[in-house]
Amino acid sequence: MLRVDHVRKSFGTINAVRDVSFSIESGTTFGLLGPNGAGKTTTMRMILGILTPDAGNVSWDGVTIDASLRRRFGYLPEERGLYGKMKVREQIAYFGRLHGLRKPEVSKRTDYWIEHLQLGEYSNRPAAELSKGNQQKVQVACAAVHEPALLVLDEPFSGLDPVNAEMLLGVLRAQQARGTTLVLSSHQMWQLEELCTEFCIIDDGQNRASGTLAQLRAAFPTRVLRVEPASDAARSVLDGLPNARRLGSEDGALDYEVALGTALPDILRRLVSAEAITRFEAIEPSLQDIYLRAIGPAT
Amino acid sequence: MRRLRSRAFKVGLVLGMVGVALAIKAPQFVSSALNQASNTIVVGGSPSLASRAAKLLAKDFEIEGLTDRTAPPTLAFLDAHRKAGALVVVTQERHQLVVTVYARDLSFVSASELRRDLMPLGFALATSTPETTVARYMNLPIALHGINSKFENSAAADAAHGIAYTLLIFLYVSILLNSQLIMTSVAEEKTSRIAELLIASVNPSALLAGKIGAAAVLAVIQLASWLAVGYVLSLGGGVAKGFAAMLVQAITPLDLAAFIAYFLLGYLQLSTLFAAAASLINRTEDLGSVSGPLVMPVVLAFFLALYALGFPSSTLATVTSFIPIVAPFTMFARIAVSVVPAWQIVISLLINIAAVWAFAILGGKIYRVGMLLYGRPPKLRQILATLRG
Repeated sequence: MLRVDHVRKSFGTINAVRDVSFSIESGTTFGLLGPNGAGKTTTMRMILGILTPDAGNVSWDGVTIDASLRRRFGYLPEERGLYGKMKVREQIAYFGRLHGLRKPEVSKRTDYWIEHLQLGEYSNRPAAELSKGNQQKVQVACAAVHEPALLVLDEPFSGLDPVNAEMLLGVLRAQQARGTTLVLSSHQMWQLEELCTEFCIIDDGQNRASGTLAQLRAAFPTRVLRVEPASDAARSVLDGLPNARRLGSEDGALDYEVALGTALPDILRRLVSAEAITRFEAIEPSLQDIYLRAIGPAT
Repeated sequence: MRRLRSRAFKVGLVLGMVGVALAIKAPQFVSSALNQASNTIVVGGSPSLASRAAKLLAKDFEIEGLTDRTAPPTLAFLDAHRKAGALVVVTQERHQLVVTVYARDLSFVSASELRRDLMPLGFALATSTPETTVARYMNLPIALHGINSKFENSAAADAAHGIAYTLLIFLYVSILLNSQLIMTSVAEEKTSRIAELLIASVNPSALLAGKIGAAAVLAVIQLASWLAVGYVLSLGGGVAKGFAAMLVQAITPLDLAAFIAYFLLGYLQLSTLFAAAASLINRTEDLGSVSGPLVMPVVLAFFLALYALGFPSSTLATVTSFIPIVAPFTMFARIAVSVVPAWQIVISLLINIAAVWAFAILGGKIYRVGMLLYGRPPKLRQILATLRG
């Protein structure tokens, strides 16, 4: 288990991380969300031991992160980078050796990742000659070649075309299947929803919300009701609901936001008695909705 | 190992060897070509006087012929006498020897050499003493003995100065070159953004130490190869034929040990500082601005070392033998040409080893912080604040 316990980090007068806490069970996939400048990358760097927290503690299975533990972790930073003149195969092997792999094993694993990521035809070419997408594949290989216990990926989908994004999703699912603990950040909510079992939303260096999607939804204070058809009668019933807010109508449907705990069967009965309705749906908030509510309006 | 197999290292090694070979052999070819012209003279004047002068001049010049010509010659005249460098005309006015030289190129004729060779003839004409007798008495034996000197004779002392000067140049070039290679490597990792991935994989101090250590091995291989080429080629003779003999005569095992020790100390100190400086830049174009302040002390150290070669016991040379960055140059120069008290060597080594340690800690911290800093180059205040954090 990875445990991040009330960590704090500042750089001079800038408080990058004020108070962030969460824990991640081994083998799960954790999504770290937040706007730009929220402190996600700084938190990730503290997890990996690149930065030392000013306060708080980061531990893996109860042990504070040290150099020997860090070798068991993998990292794909937001700022991608490769040795431009080094060949792809050499580069992946190099990072494998940096993480403690010995010679026969490093060759075997390098071959695996080259094949797995379809880099065969590029394996003996300098990294600078590859396209951006292929370079990112190489970076993923460098991060994962040593079969890390924890793999941290900072915006892994940024800059990827749909085909390569799908490829990366496949890679991450395979890592999940192997039992690797994953921590990833992304602005692509749908990808995180698909991959992650738990989330933490941070903003201005602090926790805003955390938990599984179900927990986050359960804590979300409203629901969206979608009713079809968008008739006057239906509108009249819905307008009469206490604390209901009309969101608009699309494709002949009415969307209204109602408070969590509103008696939905009662609303349904009233709608049916007023009008023949063809659709009555309570839409659970999406991760994006939860995220936007957690970080508040843009300033 | 990758750098050892790299084309850049191999090319640098070979080019350095070629450079050393040229430095040793080229003067031999140039000098022999020049000597053929400049050392060949024709002696003019009355037959008896010219003949006596020619015998004395034969010590330092190649006499192509005697002539009774006293008027300025033409180039064709000199060309006809195996492209002689000059016509030296000796005449007598009363009891005074008068020497007039008509040279192809004035820079190749040494008036002092002519004066020294012909002085016995001048005395002979003035005193009626045979010039051979005068020459014998003019050869004044002078015994040179040093007080607490490292060398038995002045020839060994001169040889040591020559060798020390050469080795200082090797030290200067090698330390600066290899430190700047480290700097370029660090800058490449920073600007290509691979730095964060490296620091996540390996302790930054270990990363830096590995870089510097590996480059030190390459530098030693390079230096040893160049010196070996120089030594082997000089055995073949020529202008630098004395180099091998000078080495044996002038360089003791202590000198060699000092050279290696101070090369390593100087390189370790400077490469750490260069690497730390490089970690602060965002673009390779900014390398010049951070390397300049580091190169200046090295240049100063080199000139101080040249001063120390001439005045090894001076206060300036002694004091600078203890100052990090400068000491690798000045202390080596002093050891090479004088007897330096053992306690000074020990203290200098200890101070410089401590400096390596201190630079490694400071440089490691700056490197760790700098490799993650992007955007506007940080001010000194920011760096200090971050280091304290």
